[in-house]
Amino acid sequence: MILPLGPMHPGYKEPIRLKVKTRGERVLKAEIEYGYVHRGIERVMRNKTWQKAIYLSERVCGICSYIHTQTFAEAFERISDTEAPPRAQFLRALTNELDRIQSHLIANSTYFKALDHETMFMYMLALREPVMDAIELLTGNRVNMGWNVVGGVRMDADKSHLSRIRKIILDLEREFDRYVEMFEHGPLIGLRSRDVGYMSLEEAEKARAVGPIGRASGIRYDFREDHPTYRDHLDFRTVWRDEGDNFARVMNRFDEIRVSADLIKQIIDNIPEGPVRKKVDIGSGYGEWRNEAPRGEVAYMIETNGNLIKNISIRTPSIMNIDACARYMLRDVATVADAVATYASADPCIACAERVMVIDEEKGEREILL
Amino acid sequence: MLDALKSVLRKTSIHVCLVNTGGCNGCDIEVLALLSPRYDLEQYGIYVHQNPREADVILVTGAVTEQWRDKLQRIHRKAPEPKIVVALGNCPISGDVFNQEGGSVYAPVSDFIPVDAEVPGCPPRPSEILEAILAVAPGAIAERGRKK
Repeated sequence: MILPLGPMHPGYKEPIRLKVKTRGERVLKAEIEYGYVHRGIERVMRNKTWQKAIYLSERVCGICSYIHTQTFAEAFERISDTEAPPRAQFLRALTNELDRIQSHLIANSTYFKALDHETMFMYMLALREPVMDAIELLTGNRVNMGWNVVGGVRMDADKSHLSRIRKIILDLEREFDRYVEMFEHGPLIGLRSRDVGYMSLEEAEKARAVGPIGRASGIRYDFREDHPTYRDHLDFRTVWRDEGDNFARVMNRFDEIRVSADLIKQIIDNIPEGPVRKKVDIGSGYGEWRNEAPRGEVAYMIETNGNLIKNISIRTPSIMNIDACARYMLRDVATVADAVATYASADPCIACAERVMVIDEEKGEREILL
Repeated sequence: MLDALKSVLRKTSIHVCLVNTGGCNGCDIEVLALLSPRYDLEQYGIYVHQNPREADVILVTGAVTEQWRDKLQRIHRKAPEPKIVVALGNCPISGDVFNQEGGSVYAPVSDFIPVDAEVPGCPPRPSEILEAILAVAPGAIAERGRKK
């Protein structure tokens, strides 16, 4: 029988419909129905200056809102053939890592909620709140920060702010190992997670899975390795696993939180002095920039005409991951409850995955818009 | 006697259904943050269920997109009386940044369903959301229950 899950479902943060084909309790295959939160961001962005469009790019997705503005600003810097001052680059990397920690914690908490493990769900959210405080301390806001501008960041960070962030991260690391051990060696959660929702390396490559989902299946790739700030100034290593099940995906996110915490300490130790913003003369032309968002690689392709955006295309990681989840992970899962948990382990973010295809019949043109 | 008991109980068990009608997800994670031990929503007798059939409070986040135009009213009809609707964030109030030329949103939400309270902010802080629900929900629900 076909069992519809959603668009309103206790396990989901956002509206999406998952149609699963079942025989008894066993889930045979799944199909995804999008279209509930398409807002037409790319079309609104056209013919606007960057000062207006950067707020729209922030609202592509609420959880990883920070990285969208950074990629947007860096794409514009690329078009203008310039770079942000070194201190601004370090501050951007710092906020990016803080944002990654909170995003991974919320993703894992959602997974534990889908498993009905209320205790771990609460632990994860309790760990997340101090990180949100750190973000608020640095940028002045919790979720949509408005922190990036083309040519740098909006405000400078105080020395006392940085030392408080360092203390928050040290506290997090101290608590963190205990919770990871609970998950890694706990027999109950382990049994519900291991060998559920398996995706092999070939399948992950075929579905173009990115981010922690791809890395949990053995794709050894993290775009931060190629980012100028990380490549030149910071000691960074990609974490990956090869099990490819729910356990690996959750553990991969836990490992990445450790790497992020380590990066934050490096950034605070090595941050250079200097200005945080410089004036940029926006040039005309085409620019492209990629970054590693918490969920994978995000790319901005921008074409400008003087100061105005002529055309923009945003590629977000979630769309590939959700597709990989529906096609490969949700295949022959033992129970419907496991199917919901597998879906949560893929960390779907619907707000950035919504696309609409506009077909002009007379001209024979097609265009896909976010 | 029964009515008095009902109005006391209604004040202490508020079931919330969160409906994202096309926002950026920011308000949703602030509601999720409310569940965390720091804010602890459940100590006030508020439970987030995402089930319209047992909801007392419908929290609407997001400007209304094409798909939600008829579905939002259906969800509102499914919730039993007495119920209240809280519009959370700038999107359901005005459409926020999406309500410009080229966007496909149909804000405000009050065009589709009656709204009792509005919490502006992009997104509002968790404490503001909590304060808004507590300021409106218990009184309004008990009062509407009595009218019935």
